[in-house]
Amino acid sequence: MRPILLQGHERSITQIKYNREGDLLFSVAKDPVANAWYSVNGERLGTYNGHTGAVWCVDADWDTKNVLTGSADNSCRLWDCETGKQLALLETSSAVRTCGFDFSGNIIMFSTDKQMGYQCFLNYFDLRDPQQIEDNQPYLSVPCNESKITSAVWGPLGEFVIAGHENGEINQYSAKSGEILKAAKEHTKQINDIQTSVDLTMLISASKDCTAKMFDSTNLEHIKTFKTERPVNSAAISPNMDHVVMGGGQEAMEVTTTSTRIGKFEARFFHAAYEEEFGRVKGHFGPINCVAFHPDGKSYSSGGEDGYVRIHYFDPQYFDFELEA
Amino acid sequence: MEYDDGEEPSFSDPEDFVDDSDQELLGDVLRDKPQEADGIDSVVVVDNVPQVGPERLEKLKNVIQKIFSKFGKITNDFYPIADGKTKGPVLLAKEKKNVVIVWEAPEKQPFKDFGNLRHWLEDPDCRDQYSVIYDSGERTGIFANDVKEPIEVEERARWTETYVRWSPKGTYLATFHQRGIALWGGEKFKQIQRFSHQGVQLIDFSPCERYVVTFSPLMDTKDDPQAIIIWDVLTGQKKRGFHCESSAHWPIFKWSPDGKFFARMTQDTLSIYETPSMGLLDKKSLRINGIKDFSWSPGDNIIAFWVPEDKDIPARVTLMQLPSRNEIRVRNLFNVVDCKLHWQKNGDYLCVKVDRTPKGTQGVVTNFEIFRMREKQVPVDVVEMKESIIAFAWEPNGSKFAVLHGESPRINVSFYHVKNNGKIDLIKMFDKQQANSIFWSPQGQFLVLAGLRSMNGALAFVDTSDCTMMNIAEHYMASDVEWDPTGRYVVTSVSWWSHKVDNAFWLWTFQGRLLQKTNKERFCQLLWRPRPPSLLTQEQIKLIKKDLKKYSKIFEQKDRLSQSKASKELVDKRRSMMEDYRKYRERTFDMYNEQKPLRLELRGGVDTDELDSNVDDWEEETIEFFINEEIIPIGDL
Repeated sequence: MRPILLQGHERSITQIKYNREGDLLFSVAKDPVANAWYSVNGERLGTYNGHTGAVWCVDADWDTKNVLTGSADNSCRLWDCETGKQLALLETSSAVRTCGFDFSGNIIMFSTDKQMGYQCFLNYFDLRDPQQIEDNQPYLSVPCNESKITSAVWGPLGEFVIAGHENGEINQYSAKSGEILKAAKEHTKQINDIQTSVDLTMLISASKDCTAKMFDSTNLEHIKTFKTERPVNSAAISPNMDHVVMGGGQEAMEVTTTSTRIGKFEARFFHAAYEEEFGRVKGHFGPINCVAFHPDGKSYSSGGEDGYVRIHYFDPQYFDFELEA
Repeated sequence: MEYDDGEEPSFSDPEDFVDDSDQELLGDVLRDKPQEADGIDSVVVVDNVPQVGPERLEKLKNVIQKIFSKFGKITNDFYPIADGKTKGPVLLAKEKKNVVIVWEAPEKQPFKDFGNLRHWLEDPDCRDQYSVIYDSGERTGIFANDVKEPIEVEERARWTETYVRWSPKGTYLATFHQRGIALWGGEKFKQIQRFSHQGVQLIDFSPCERYVVTFSPLMDTKDDPQAIIIWDVLTGQKKRGFHCESSAHWPIFKWSPDGKFFARMTQDTLSIYETPSMGLLDKKSLRINGIKDFSWSPGDNIIAFWVPEDKDIPARVTLMQLPSRNEIRVRNLFNVVDCKLHWQKNGDYLCVKVDRTPKGTQGVVTNFEIFRMREKQVPVDVVEMKESIIAFAWEPNGSKFAVLHGESPRINVSFYHVKNNGKIDLIKMFDKQQANSIFWSPQGQFLVLAGLRSMNGALAFVDTSDCTMMNIAEHYMASDVEWDPTGRYVVTSVSWWSHKVDNAFWLWTFQGRLLQKTNKERFCQLLWRPRPPSLLTQEQIKLIKKDLKKYSKIFEQKDRLSQSKASKELVDKRRSMMEDYRKYRERTFDMYNEQKPLRLELRGGVDTDELDSNVDDWEEETIEFFINEEIIPIGDL
């Protein structure tokens, strides 16, 4: 399968995300521009201009009406997906690291980094109450004293946010009270990415400890572990096969001293039940920072340190492949 | 030195050692033992006499006279003097006939049992062992090579401070410490011996494992040469110390294959020593003006050395027989820039790589001068090479050699066969190789061409019986290639010492089929444990080869059983994992279905559970796909 190459960013990709139906793919990077692409042919729908710093996160609501981005320019912004118009600007005291719409699309959450004397906070805004946006007053702001949040997703019904921390912990934070409902201490190093399965029942966490782990979203029961020998930057669960895809690589500062080989960095596919690797896809010129499955499972995308996003459509063999059991 | 094994060092003999070697072991002490002298009626020998200078000699004599005249009248005395002081036992001649000997014999040390030092060879599945250093040197492990996965035999933290070495026959593992070297062996890798040499950096073993040579840059003084020390492995005794100007070309001392001689080269000099005396052969070094390099044949007590051109005298390579020092062959060479000596493993052939600048030219060309050691008068054949040489290697046990030549990116490999009829045939050449090193199997016939380090770990597995490429593969950023001693397996590895990520070692068959990948955190070094030469005679080996079919059947059956057992285990494991996973998914699916009303409510009644839940919502769109680009210059229209 020949991948579609999306060249819309000057700097390394920080996150990519499909909308619910999968026809759009959003990409953000260390440059201030957020892009929306048609996933079927790689044509760009448009850009969201306004941020003045690296953009760390992006999300679209279930209806693909609104887009949410968080940036190192200390702001979280809401956009109209179709027109690109900035609908809301929520200023923060430190960089916004992760953000997302809940299942209903009415509540947004985002976390801010621990920096410049400010703590890490997990903030909740209800979009149905315009006053919150106008006053820049979240209805709930949860401080994280111990270890800052590095990645977060919403639970299946908007009741809690599942957050991964710098110290490897994963916690469920209630969207009503902010208290920690459940905790999992399985990883030994920073959580780089958390993604949910398409039905939101499971989540997969990618960690600097060179593993990705699968958990049940509701009770945070640890189900599977996928081991590699490199830090894992991102992981995703296939919507229609018992597969997970992982992307990673070494620390950015090590890249210049090690590989000069073209296209060395690979996305790795593991069998979700057997925890065994069964395939790799090469092509990126640097470590892979983010991976995502299309909601129909017929393709997947990866965003790299090289600034490119690659969309791969699977060959028929991918769906027929089976490990002997 | 810190050792996990907290036992005291011992100087005892291994189990099967027959102790008939008083002369050898206690030679220096026995030399001091008084002998009954003929012709002297009675002698009193007084040892441990204080060493005094001439001013107190009188007083000493008086004291001794006083003590010993109790035993009888002293008729004569002898006080040996060295360097102005009394030294050594004093002899007193006495009237009475009894000989009183005051002499202390050394204490016998208790016998220490290290077990069977050859234990690893008795593995019923013939697994070879290898040492692995990882955790950037913090951990050292010994593993047995099993096709399924490495079996850990022993593993210790901080077993060595830098690296390890195996002795040539595999009996000992040597570890390095600030204060010296330790040797370990036997089934449990107990500490067998240790040698105190502060700051030791390099070691070398004699081929017979009787001696070990250590080098430390710290220990040299003008009077007491301690930079290089030669030790007796069994007794732990220091045999002799030497100065060392530079350790750049270690080993400085090169051993004859039977361990009877060792030699080193200094300015214009070749010094050959004998064992066990550690003295110079014929009590003198050889003066060889301009000597640039030498090496022993690995099969016989023959040294090859070369000297460069000197005024009118051409450069030459000389083969010298030891101990006779007969020059059995001399070969003159002209316009020589440099020479390198390459012996075939059995000493059947010597290849001298000669770089020359032919008269009237400026470039350097290379010839290989092939000396046929087993033929009368050692005939020499010349192979001319057109390109610069990257690597050269003889087939062990055979008569082929492989050469990597050319310049990146046009690197070629050529295979030559030294035939009995006096010809050297170029069997085959492959061009466009990604290789900078040649690794022959220790049993010959097969080899690996590797592009290590900067060539990113390109590998080619070759069968030289018909010069076919069996497999082309890659171990990205591989820094080392190591064959097992039997020639069945090859390990490629990425050492943390040369590359900070992906540190691992991979196991391949000799045909280039990848069997295992073992990642080890900050893996540094893997060394196979050598095997001693086979105890079988040639006849016995012939017999076994004749019956090989019979043995193969048995081994194949065993392998199949073991493999299917592994497959079965894996398959069973997968089945049970899938079952558990399915059960879990069913449970969550039930809960998911129960929550459907909640989901509908959250999305205002819109069912989004499936992508096609809302077919009415679908739009038809025409999409453009980029197919091709064609550039038509306007002038052609």
